[in-house]
Amino acid sequence: MSMNVPSVFLIVVIGLLGVGLYALLTVRNLIKVVVALQILVKGAMLAFVLVGRLTGQVNLGQSLALTVIVADTIVAVVGLTLAVQVRRKFGSLDIKDLTTLKR
Amino acid sequence: MAATLILLSIGLPWLGALVVWMVGDRHEKIQHALAVAFSLAAGVAAVILLGSAGKETALTIPVGGVFGDFTFVADGLGVFLAVIATVIGSLAVIFSVDYMHGEHQLGRYYAFVLFFIGAMVGLVLTSNLLLMFVFWEITALCSYALIAFHNDDPKAVAGGVKALIITQFGGVGLLLGAVLLVSTTGSYDINALLASPSSIPAGTLAVLAYGFLVAAAAKSAQFPFQTWLPDAMEAPTPISALIHAATMVNAGVYLLARFFPAFKDVPGWTEAVMLVGLVTALMAAIMAVVSNDLKRVLAYSTVSQLGYMVYAVGTGVVFASQFHLLSHSVFKALLFLGAGAVIHSVGTRDMREMGGLGKKMPFTRVVFIIGALALAGLPILNGFWSKELILEAGLKHSPIWMYILMLVGAGITAFYTFRMVWMVFYGKPKAEGHIHDAGKAMKVALAPLALGALTTWLLAGPFSKILGTETLPYHNIHAESTWEILGEVISLPTLVALGVVALGLLAWWQRDKLGGLGKALGWLGKAAAASFGFEAINRGVVKGTQGASNGLSVTQTGLLNWNVLGIVVALVILFAVLALGA
Amino acid sequence: MDPMNAVIWLIATPLLSVPVVYLAGRLVARKAGDSSTINPARWVALAAMLVTGVFLFVAGQSVATTSNPIGMTVETITLRFDGISLVLAFSVWLLGTLVILFSGPYMKAEVGEEKFYSLLMAMIGTMIGLGTAVDLFNLWVWFEAMAISSYMLVAFYREEPASLEAGVKYLVQSAVGSVLILMGIVVVFMYTGTLNPDVFRMYLMPWPGLIGAGALFIIGFGVKTALVPLHTWLPDAHSQAPSGISAMLSGVVIETGLIAMLRSLGALSEVYNWGIILVIFAAVNMLVGNLMALRQKQVKRLLAYSSVAHMGYMLFGLGVALSFGQSNGAAGGFFHLFNHAMMKGLAFLGVGALLYALHLARGDHSPLMVEDLNGAARKYPWVVLTLSIGLLALGGLPPLAGFMSKWQILVAGAQTQNVWMIVLVVFMGLNSVLSLGYYAPLVNRMYRTQPSDIVMEGKPVSWLMTLPLILLAFGTVVLGFYPALLNWLTKPAALALFQTFGR
Repeated sequence: MSMNVPSVFLIVVIGLLGVGLYALLTVRNLIKVVVALQILVKGAMLAFVLVGRLTGQVNLGQSLALTVIVADTIVAVVGLTLAVQVRRKFGSLDIKDLTTLKR
Repeated sequence: MAATLILLSIGLPWLGALVVWMVGDRHEKIQHALAVAFSLAAGVAAVILLGSAGKETALTIPVGGVFGDFTFVADGLGVFLAVIATVIGSLAVIFSVDYMHGEHQLGRYYAFVLFFIGAMVGLVLTSNLLLMFVFWEITALCSYALIAFHNDDPKAVAGGVKALIITQFGGVGLLLGAVLLVSTTGSYDINALLASPSSIPAGTLAVLAYGFLVAAAAKSAQFPFQTWLPDAMEAPTPISALIHAATMVNAGVYLLARFFPAFKDVPGWTEAVMLVGLVTALMAAIMAVVSNDLKRVLAYSTVSQLGYMVYAVGTGVVFASQFHLLSHSVFKALLFLGAGAVIHSVGTRDMREMGGLGKKMPFTRVVFIIGALALAGLPILNGFWSKELILEAGLKHSPIWMYILMLVGAGITAFYTFRMVWMVFYGKPKAEGHIHDAGKAMKVALAPLALGALTTWLLAGPFSKILGTETLPYHNIHAESTWEILGEVISLPTLVALGVVALGLLAWWQRDKLGGLGKALGWLGKAAAASFGFEAINRGVVKGTQGASNGLSVTQTGLLNWNVLGIVVALVILFAVLALGA
Repeated sequence: MDPMNAVIWLIATPLLSVPVVYLAGRLVARKAGDSSTINPARWVALAAMLVTGVFLFVAGQSVATTSNPIGMTVETITLRFDGISLVLAFSVWLLGTLVILFSGPYMKAEVGEEKFYSLLMAMIGTMIGLGTAVDLFNLWVWFEAMAISSYMLVAFYREEPASLEAGVKYLVQSAVGSVLILMGIVVVFMYTGTLNPDVFRMYLMPWPGLIGAGALFIIGFGVKTALVPLHTWLPDAHSQAPSGISAMLSGVVIETGLIAMLRSLGALSEVYNWGIILVIFAAVNMLVGNLMALRQKQVKRLLAYSSVAHMGYMLFGLGVALSFGQSNGAAGGFFHLFNHAMMKGLAFLGVGALLYALHLARGDHSPLMVEDLNGAARKYPWVVLTLSIGLLALGGLPPLAGFMSKWQILVAGAQTQNVWMIVLVVFMGLNSVLSLGYYAPLVNRMYRTQPSDIVMEGKPVSWLMTLPLILLAFGTVVLGFYPALLNWLTKPAALALFQTFGR
């Protein structure tokens, strides 16, 4: 029994989302947090391509995915800039150290 | 004409508040003068308004939509209370000229006093329930600001916040009633509700009735919300007079009296009102017996006397309750301002450190004793006539055990009043330093009040006329002449009541011989000194809320993983809820 | 002017001004080389806001008088300026203009002023744009653009560790929300093959997948809207951002999230009774926000938690409107949204003025504690007066604006004649009382006669900072006395809400 392309895609999408969320709940390194966000968004992006194909609107799906890539890249850049600055100021990238604000 | 006068008696104090504030604290004398001028002008406007009292809507400000039209009616009940608020209020302002001499931040003081007076006038004159609630809340805001006037004193701040929170808590009852009324009838018109209470469903009407009772009890410091009023004694003394005699606490009694025709047929409502009044009257009277703080004794006596008024509303004799409100306003303002003169001079509120002040403060002693006799209910002072009216109403319209307990309350009132007068003005002098009699402005405020305590009972006839059916179509108060009313008072039960009062007096006279009885009642005194556990309940509620707050703040860990977990958990819960719901 | 063009320029003007503001500031700063010259960026930004105001007036007049939305298609993108867009645009414009005025003196000493104003203009433009989005994906794009500019503004003090920490949390949590929104859009796209709700709204059935998509929208946009328990970023971000930005975040940004959520749920209106979900979140938000604020010692965090509670009040009104068809709930919700923008803007700017005078002007970035406010009235009478008005209005005391909008929401709750909603009406009333437990003592402190040491050493507050405070306080009082003044704004918005939900 062979799997068709959409279901492979679907498994990949769910896998990416799951890995991303799991990572966000567990990793402590700020760079890894940004990577986890990237994984999450890649899942969503792939989902757009997949659904575009399923609904017969390949172009629309892909253009949406492209837009997501652009926005997401900016977020990643801002996130990494913050991470660099955090490393400078806190001397660490561990998000356990980023808990001065509470209550 | 009436419209202009209504606008003037609300607007003048408010304008005055703004002006006094704007003048700035560097011009103290101008502030005093302006405050007196504006409050007196409002008083004059309100007194003239007495002449054009009527049941028609006198002023409509169209706002429309969900807020209804802001309407005002100058009916008897409203105008009468407006006069009390402005006249007694302006006397308190005049008294302040001496009392607050040299204080910081007079602008804030007078601004809130005038704002308070104007709001109270608005509260009693409006016939739009939303607007009534608005004014209701403004009076709460002003009382809080004035009780906490000495901001540097944590006790004053605590007292102010307590007053605010408790009255606002009760205010939720009024709020619920108002939104229910508008949602069922589409209108905020109070008189429409009084005209046909059956136009809304019985269940809703019951919610309204009991909601308003809660609001009134909180505002008038009735059981079980009485705890805020004694703590409000941290306010400057003219403010205590203002709150106790002219404005704040009258609002609750007013609310019950105003809505009595609509709620009287709600099952159990009149009994509940009588019971609240009875419990409060007795409990507060006992607390007054064991207190040594001059202002607290007066505060408890206010609570107790308000209990009498509430009880009178419950018996259905609204006239007696309002007549006592009139007497009480006069003699309580007199007592508070007199106490203010004493405190201003001695520098303490503890009666154990006073004593023998009578010789040094002859004027104050005379007027204070006049007020005290009125409070104790001795003839021929105004408190006697109005309290007897209430007791007679109780005899006719309430269970006999309630009447007897109210009689006992009158005896206790006489007891603590004489105790207070004795401790302050007689006995061995204890206070040291320079003791001086009341200042000039203080005398100007005290003299008319003393005269009033001696004479306002002569107004019974005109008073019944202005509360009569011509201006209050739903309250069924019949206009009678003064002599008819006084004639009703002079009867056998009155002699019984006078006997009880005399017993109270005698008990204080022979207190040494009653030592055994005193010991036997020691537990009661202890319970009263602990305010019958209500303070503990208050503290418990505050502690519980703060504990919940502290407990909850643990959830804000600041850890990013935890924060993301919040998102995931919320998503999962929402999925689950939707899966179950759909 | 043609209203359609006005709408386009309304969105375009702030966005086009972004590079201009940046360049103007950058060139002058480079030429002068020292901080003594006044950076022109703020004046360019202010001018842009005034021009935007003209377009807003034209577009707003059309919507307010006819109650008809202004619809248009630019290339393939459909824009629609309706009552909700108007409330949002008006709040953003008003608060934005005043924040720019206020920030002039506040940000004077900071490095990179031009960045601040250009990012602020970008945020303003994207928020106004978001209000006009019809298409779901378009909505997300505006939302993301707004979010990116706000991340950078929150972490504007890049040398301050606390500010960086707040920025990181804000960014990560918002980004997670953003992905959830995208997944929701994917699901809708899968079911309908299109992204324009006008096309598919009426044909939808309560399919489980679409209900799931709605949940994704609620949680996704809910992060920005600060629904409990997604609110954890909010106290950090609001307290660490420059005060002007705190005012914007609390006054309009979280409300923009709410409007985006309403638009996305509107697309799925036939799928589920979403109003009930909003009401549940409303109750939780009120209680948690107020309790968290009650014992808070940092003033800006206290105000931040109070925003969580106020979001609850808005949600209650809007939720009642959606599940029971109460137009008063919708009008009250939007009325409260606008009032909250004014009141919370006022509170944050007022606290900001004190923070500036007591800490920042001396190069001290430590937070403003409640004890610092003791006796501030002696030295800063106008700031304290206006701030007190703002705080008491937030606490719902009449005759101030916050009371009137809460009242309208409460009436709507009672009008449902539903026992549970009436219980919630009482609950909301009690919450308002609870909130006075932290607003009132704060006001008291400021009027103490003995100023704290820190107040004695405080620096003066410029009139440019005081002016916005006075204007906002004036608005708060006037609306409290005559709430009907804003009917032109709230009624079309209520209508637009029902249209968004296809009713």
